[in-house]
Amino acid sequence: MVYILGGFQTDFARNWTKEGKHISAMIREAVAGCLAATGVAPQQIDVGHVGNFAAELYAMQGHLGAFLVDVDPAFSGLPTGRHEAACASGSIALLAASAEIEAGRYDCALVVGVEQMKTVSPAVGGDYLGTAAWYELEAKGVEFPFPKLFGKLGDEYDRRYGLKDEHLAHIAAVNYGNAKKNPKAQTRTWYMSEAHACETSKYNAVIGGRLKISDCSQVTDGAVAVILASEKFATAYAKQRGTKVEDLAKIQGWGHRTAPLRFDDKVAESAKDPYILPHTRRAVLDAYKRAGIADCWALDGIETHDCFTTSEYMAIDHFGLTAPGQSWKAIEEKVIDFDGKLPINPSGGLIGAGHPVGATGVRQLLDATLQVTGKAGNYQVPNARRFATLNIGGSGTTSCVFIVGR
Amino acid sequence: MVKPIRNVVVLGANGAMGSGSGAVFAAAGIPTVFLARTREKAEAGRARAESMVKSTAISRFITTGTYEDDLERAVAAADLVFEAVAEDLETKKTFFSRVDRARKPDAIVATVSSGLSIAAMCAGQSESFRRHFLGIHFFNPPTVIVGCELIPHAGTDPAVTAYVRELLAGPLGREVVETSDTPAFAGNRVGFKVLNEVAQLAEEHGVAFMDQLVGPHSGRAMPPLVTVDFVGWDVHKAIVDNLYAHTKDEAHAAFQLPAYMQRGIDAGRLGNKTKGGFFKKDAAKNVLVLDPARDDYRPLAEVTTALPAFVDQMKAAIHVGRYERAMDAFCTAQGKEADLLRRVVLGYISYGLGRVGEVVKHARDVDRIMGFGFNWAPPSVLVDAIGARRTIGLLEQAKLAVPRVLVEAAEKNTNLFHEPEVDRGRFFFAA
Repeated sequence: MVYILGGFQTDFARNWTKEGKHISAMIREAVAGCLAATGVAPQQIDVGHVGNFAAELYAMQGHLGAFLVDVDPAFSGLPTGRHEAACASGSIALLAASAEIEAGRYDCALVVGVEQMKTVSPAVGGDYLGTAAWYELEAKGVEFPFPKLFGKLGDEYDRRYGLKDEHLAHIAAVNYGNAKKNPKAQTRTWYMSEAHACETSKYNAVIGGRLKISDCSQVTDGAVAVILASEKFATAYAKQRGTKVEDLAKIQGWGHRTAPLRFDDKVAESAKDPYILPHTRRAVLDAYKRAGIADCWALDGIETHDCFTTSEYMAIDHFGLTAPGQSWKAIEEKVIDFDGKLPINPSGGLIGAGHPVGATGVRQLLDATLQVTGKAGNYQVPNARRFATLNIGGSGTTSCVFIVGR
Repeated sequence: MVKPIRNVVVLGANGAMGSGSGAVFAAAGIPTVFLARTREKAEAGRARAESMVKSTAISRFITTGTYEDDLERAVAAADLVFEAVAEDLETKKTFFSRVDRARKPDAIVATVSSGLSIAAMCAGQSESFRRHFLGIHFFNPPTVIVGCELIPHAGTDPAVTAYVRELLAGPLGREVVETSDTPAFAGNRVGFKVLNEVAQLAEEHGVAFMDQLVGPHSGRAMPPLVTVDFVGWDVHKAIVDNLYAHTKDEAHAAFQLPAYMQRGIDAGRLGNKTKGGFFKKDAAKNVLVLDPARDDYRPLAEVTTALPAFVDQMKAAIHVGRYERAMDAFCTAQGKEADLLRRVVLGYISYGLGRVGEVVKHARDVDRIMGFGFNWAPPSVLVDAIGARRTIGLLEQAKLAVPRVLVEAAEKNTNLFHEPEVDRGRFFFAA
């Protein structure tokens, strides 16, 4: 079993380029904050993993694992590495670290997710993000390719089952509303309402297919660090603090699947499947099985990948809140609202809290950890004991799910 | 008991603060009446509010009207009357008299004044008015800057203050700092001491040099004299004149408006709004810098001098997130430039934390308003990066007052800044 001792998230409203800072400053602040938050000494860390999508493009910098060594003299010689799977990069780093712990190689792993995105204009950034799709076929020469791809996901729902934009607007409003409770959320001071999300205006223009600005997650600078530990390490850690190891969060289950890179290939493959992204559905079911839970109703909340409202719409039925194609029911019945039966993204998610691409999977795991240990502050879901995360790379290509609980 | 705020009237809703504050109320879903001298002006305020929150959807909560036709009727229905007319005591008092006659007995009345005496503003109104009157000082633009000051006067009903605090911190999403009804309250008192001091020093050392020396690396998003141009020289003058006339403390001399700024104001040079202040651009978009001695501008390229090496060391350390290292360079640098920067920054720490007990109750109040209102490194963040004991030594060396809270932190060997939800790194700039 892999335990999560805690972690730290930088304020996602920050613009590190305006602050005049290098991506290594983000890693430094996240790691320093994580060590302070957990009380783990740098000497106790055995290995470091960094999840990051495209620092080579955004910051002209690769080899990010090496920046961990720079944070503290005690990290000298620390084995490190960097992992990439587009927007799922953070979760891949977590999977690698947890696999090493389960294999008995190491007892204590530091995992950092980081992305600095405000170094370039939105158009250039949109082009870089296109490399998370099949660039030559889907993104080259296309302005903002990803909203268009996730607009197509909405179109496919519409074709198979019907889809109303007002349901997508509710998803946006819930995420923005939740973000107001989260002191680290990028949009916490922004204005949003369901009325605004429903209207198309000069302030809420169409950006790709059926998606408007209010349907999109944000361009975000952010870094998040967590510490994963073996049972042996976690037991000693808990004892030292006068608490029980059972009170620490742990990874109860995980799922990890990869679909074809091209969106049209995914849709063609799933033509006869009730689920539009069956590999995402399989990642969810794998995680449920490994956690020993029957379905989503064993969860107290979900942190999902709402890179666009359509991806959260997809997550609702793929997690099994409704039958396939009926996500709108959970929206109309307010199941996903903060005080609903199964709240989704109490943090605000990618739309409200922000989406620093390579950091998102780690942020989701940290938020799940804060929720199940009762430390989520104003966005705490009362009495939460088990949360799921879903982190997606590309247009539904790499799907990673974690079940976090006590 | 104070009843909930179901509707708000904004007076002066066409101005920057009126429309911005009105946007904050309407964005929270509170029906808000925008009043101005003419309907056109009120409508312009509404359009401005929409553009500030980037949504036309807030307009469903906004109605507009004029002082002449609508004030009495709108005020009679309001739970909160929010005054944002010109920063002039007599103008404000004239409006308050009309409001006093029309308001419901339990309606709250607030002023957005950035520094006039709250007690003086409501003097002469009914007792009910005075009990329900206080200051809500938003910073410009209120839709972006969440720091705000809440200023009751001696006669404000504590229940009213408590209620407004909850409204601000809750539905309106503000970072609220309660201050005494002292001149310019907390943020502007501490902030304009620094801004005016830099303006004074610019006379001897040059505008461009001072603005770069006390630039972002010393803990602020915007350089000080660029800030004064943004605020407006007339507003700057109003604030420092008020402080010079009504405070008598160790910073008194620092509040005296430089003579060259008065000459500039007399000549209509008011900063960005007149396209000229400390800085302006020529037709070819070249930046020109004011020469205070000549009341004339020179190209920035001509007057720019190399900054001392320690500034580059500070920036390089901040660039990679090593803030303690940056402040170590600040502390140990030799030379008159380093002395000058330390005089300003240590003076800020000394004067800011020194207001605890007089203007605010706690160090965190000064820290929050400087951090969330000015986007400057809060004094406590700087102290923690330097070290409390070391800061005391530097203050003593510079013959600056050592605030009591600093001595206590040094004795306990603790950090001064305890805001786990706030990244202190966001206050260090290498840009």
